[in-house]
Amino acid sequence: MNVIHTLHILNKTPEHPRFRECLGMLGPDDALALTENGVLALAGGQPFGLERVYALRTDLSARGLSATGATVQPIDYPDLVELTLEAKRVISW
Amino acid sequence: MTDTDQHSFTLVITGAPYSSQAPQTALSFARAAVAARHRIDRVFLYGDGVHLASALVTPPSDETHWPNAWARFLTDHKVAGIACIASALRRGLVDEGEQKRYELTASNLLSPFSIAGLGEWVEGTVKSTRTLYFHGG
Amino acid sequence: MGMLIVIDQPAYGTWAGREALDMAFSLAAFDQPVSLLFTGAGVSWLRKDQDPAGIDQKSVAKNLAAAPVFGIEAVMADRASCQRLGLDAGDMAAGVTLVDADAQLLSQFDQTAFSA
Repeated sequence: MNVIHTLHILNKTPEHPRFRECLGMLGPDDALALTENGVLALAGGQPFGLERVYALRTDLSARGLSATGATVQPIDYPDLVELTLEAKRVISW
Repeated sequence: MTDTDQHSFTLVITGAPYSSQAPQTALSFARAAVAARHRIDRVFLYGDGVHLASALVTPPSDETHWPNAWARFLTDHKVAGIACIASALRRGLVDEGEQKRYELTASNLLSPFSIAGLGEWVEGTVKSTRTLYFHGG
Repeated sequence: MGMLIVIDQPAYGTWAGREALDMAFSLAAFDQPVSLLFTGAGVSWLRKDQDPAGIDQKSVAKNLAAAPVFGIEAVMADRASCQRLGLDAGDMAAGVTLVDADAQLLSQFDQTAFSA
């Protein structure tokens, strides 16, 4: 798989204006990591048009959600640390 | 990159405890980074994030005390925790020096946090491998 | 290159935008390359003829006018956001470049940050 160009860490609910802003600025080689209330986006099942979408397992569990059946990979904090270093740059929305 | 490479992080927290999840997400990240043998260069509190450094925060006893949890992490790992002075003064967070300077009745900065200018953040963005932001929701 | 500070919060009714501007000025003061992007409700910063005396606040437009003096490289506004908030070129303060806020724009900067 290609190097991640930009890792976008998104902690806003899908109703937050910045959620839409973030989706509008995703590039094809970018990855998205959903944290905190960002994981609520998975309840709606909307596709992100990205190959690499991750969601923090603890935030999913807290909200009674899971990433099963979706193209979303659940991750833990050590994975998130790795992703921030693997990507060429990181933006926290 | 190999597993033995050590990297450094500057963590900027802008969300307040008990009104956002930012301080706890940042603490989980910091613990994972340290466990992976990376270094936390500094933690910078900005905007509403400065409330994390208040010594007067008193949550109910069955809730996690996020300022104390962070203070313990900073002490255990010898990491500098810095609250932005402009953000802090606006929001009523002062150390003894600022208490004297403005002739205030009290100071409330939790040890080992300190108060300093945005230059500390600028330096972090230049020196660290990554600077990550933990905003309110 | 350098850092992009994004302001997507309105000019008044919140302090987040002012604190974002402080970040930009601080980078510039330490000779770090920095540009500003106004997007979403943040483009309300750029409207001419702001008079916040009635709400006991200082004009953010005046602060922003100092950007070139402080050494901020570019002040940009997202074209689509300006359209949504009814802001055309004639309503806008001088020195602002209209851009499309997209992946290509972000990739021109080493770091991107919001103040809150």
